[in-house]
Amino acid sequence: MPLAQDVTQIIAKCIQAAQAEGRSALLEPEGKQILCALGFDVPNGVVVKADNNLVLELRHLRPPYAIKAVSAQVIHKSDFGAVKLGLPDPETVEQARNDIQGALLDRGINADTFLVEEMAQPGVELVIGGLIDPEFGPMIMLGLGGIFVEIYKDVVFRICPIDASDASDMVESLAAVALLKGARGRKAVNLDCIKQCLLLLGGEDGLMMSKSMPFSEIDINPFIANATGAVAVDARFILKLNRDHHDSTN
Amino acid sequence: MTAPTDFDALFRPRAVAVVGASATTVSGGNRFLRHLKNFGYQGPIWPIHPKAAEIEGFKAYASFQALPEQVDYAFVAVNAQQVPEVIRSARGKAKFIQVMSSGFSETDSGKALEKELVKAAIDADVRVIGPNCLGTYSPSGGLTFTAGAAKEVGSIGIVSQSGGLGVDILRRGKNKGLLFGGLVTVGNCADVKPAEILEYYFTSNQFHTIGVYLETAMGGRRLFEILRKYRGVKPVVLLKGGSTAAGQMAAISHTGALAGSQAAWQALETQTNLISTATLDEFLDVLLTLQCVGAAQQLADGVVLFGNGGGTSVLGADAFSRHGLRLANLSQHSAHALDALNLPAGSSVANPIDVPAGALQQDSGNIAGKILSALTLTPGAMIVIHINMTVVTSFSHVDMLGNLIDAVMKLRTDAWSAALLVLVLRSDGDTEMEQIKRKYRQLAIAAGIPVFNELSEAAVAIGAIRRSRFGSVAKSGSLS
Repeated sequence: MPLAQDVTQIIAKCIQAAQAEGRSALLEPEGKQILCALGFDVPNGVVVKADNNLVLELRHLRPPYAIKAVSAQVIHKSDFGAVKLGLPDPETVEQARNDIQGALLDRGINADTFLVEEMAQPGVELVIGGLIDPEFGPMIMLGLGGIFVEIYKDVVFRICPIDASDASDMVESLAAVALLKGARGRKAVNLDCIKQCLLLLGGEDGLMMSKSMPFSEIDINPFIANATGAVAVDARFILKLNRDHHDSTN
Repeated sequence: MTAPTDFDALFRPRAVAVVGASATTVSGGNRFLRHLKNFGYQGPIWPIHPKAAEIEGFKAYASFQALPEQVDYAFVAVNAQQVPEVIRSARGKAKFIQVMSSGFSETDSGKALEKELVKAAIDADVRVIGPNCLGTYSPSGGLTFTAGAAKEVGSIGIVSQSGGLGVDILRRGKNKGLLFGGLVTVGNCADVKPAEILEYYFTSNQFHTIGVYLETAMGGRRLFEILRKYRGVKPVVLLKGGSTAAGQMAAISHTGALAGSQAAWQALETQTNLISTATLDEFLDVLLTLQCVGAAQQLADGVVLFGNGGGTSVLGADAFSRHGLRLANLSQHSAHALDALNLPAGSSVANPIDVPAGALQQDSGNIAGKILSALTLTPGAMIVIHINMTVVTSFSHVDMLGNLIDAVMKLRTDAWSAALLVLVLRSDGDTEMEQIKRKYRQLAIAAGIPVFNELSEAAVAIGAIRRSRFGSVAKSGSLS
């Protein structure tokens, strides 16, 4: 089954915008729009400019808030001081917006667009990824996420398409599986929700297997899972270098 | 997915043509002709040569078109530049052409020539195996490309990307007791891909076990799809050489950075129940184990060690533990039966069961059979018998070694015993000892008992099968 038409349309629009601006990756709000259309949970949020009135813009969002710069030049946001979390009200969000703007300006980056979101409920920080392997084609990854993902390297890869038993197997293969199942008196996270998201990305009808998959790499990190569900808190979509979709691995 | 390729004509060719044999010197083509003749190929063999009337005693023909009829298999060993033209000239006169010649995509300058070869194959409507390979071995079809390969027909099917390693697999495998049904060296895989041959092995009744040596996936998508489709149907043992340069991408994302070059191969192994091995010997030992115990049989994770040599038992137990197996607890019935034997001092009747050679000479060595019978009363355990041949044969007044082996063989043939037996024949390497070992190895393997040189080798091979999905969920796979 191909992707739903609305997903295909959203992807096409995002790619167009990225190409028009000469970007090699999608902006975070674009990536989240795609994930949302695919069926992922993403935080409620709003894109604001540097001079927007935040009391007005945030009136439909529930505190506490998170704010992040939206810029093609900011690759790892936390390294750049481009993220502020746990902000209680529009005033502190405004202060954070100014701080981020200043920090980026010090690096010569002029940021004028920001994403303000409701803070995700706490949980275990995971990462879900997608990539195109030069020999085997589309692959999917699940791992212990957050900013230390490359330090822990607790990750598992599978060749797409995966089925439900592969998805279960990926979860069970993590060293961190004990954390997910509620180690030391904590509540177990909703494993079904994680598996469902793996299938949305890497299943037979998932994004990675879609005919004109335009992305070479995808990071959903952190992907925060708790007892009630799992939320894609950040998303990074890297565009394939040329738009030639001929699959040389076939 | 496309229909499976029918390789019957490749494995049992009714006629064989050879291009590139010389009338004056001994080339690759000549050697191929000699191997074929010595191996006893039954069909017509037709050398193709522009001028010669006869080569290696066979009547030669000027071209493919001059052949009396179509051949199922043609072996081509000419200069790389001539290969596309040779293939084109075979239109209607050959089904499978195996190209030994090198100088194609394995070199930068040969990449264009390989594209030309593929185009020629399509134009001529033939399937090409190779180039840059050594040949195909199929004892049921009388086909070989190397001297010293067994004529006996086995049930193991091999795909080897390397020709030289293919020869090693056949020859060292033969000496280990392996019986192959087929081996195709596929080289650059310009046309015929490993996945196609694997699908043939999966669907042909002749083959029970499959072995694959690959350095690159050669059509990774198809390889994944075929292995996934047939997973669990027959055991597939993988020996993967090299780390793929192409796998090391300039990654931007965490996902890309974490993938490395082996992530996809590890995923392939897990998702398709491959049995993964690291060395040629491990590859062959795993194949031997599967040949002996049968693909359907699940290997137990509990091991009972029985033999002479305390230190050897301890090291053996360590090795099995390192490879994910454990020493089984003997059942009450086993323990009682062992107690009743009143084994002499110095014997250990707990697992590992260590009985010095001096104690084994009791009852002319027939005590071993009674010990083994006692051990079979521990259900589900794999019994590993290790014999220090040097020590045992030094008791020259009685054929203790022969009696020990007899006891093991008897247990195998006793209908009531379902115990899985493994034999470890430990030799000091002396010529005489190696000869004795060779004789008993053949006997035991013919009876379905895998034989190893050391306990650690048995641990590696059995551990590899147990670790794989095939070993832990044997037969749960489906064709859906």
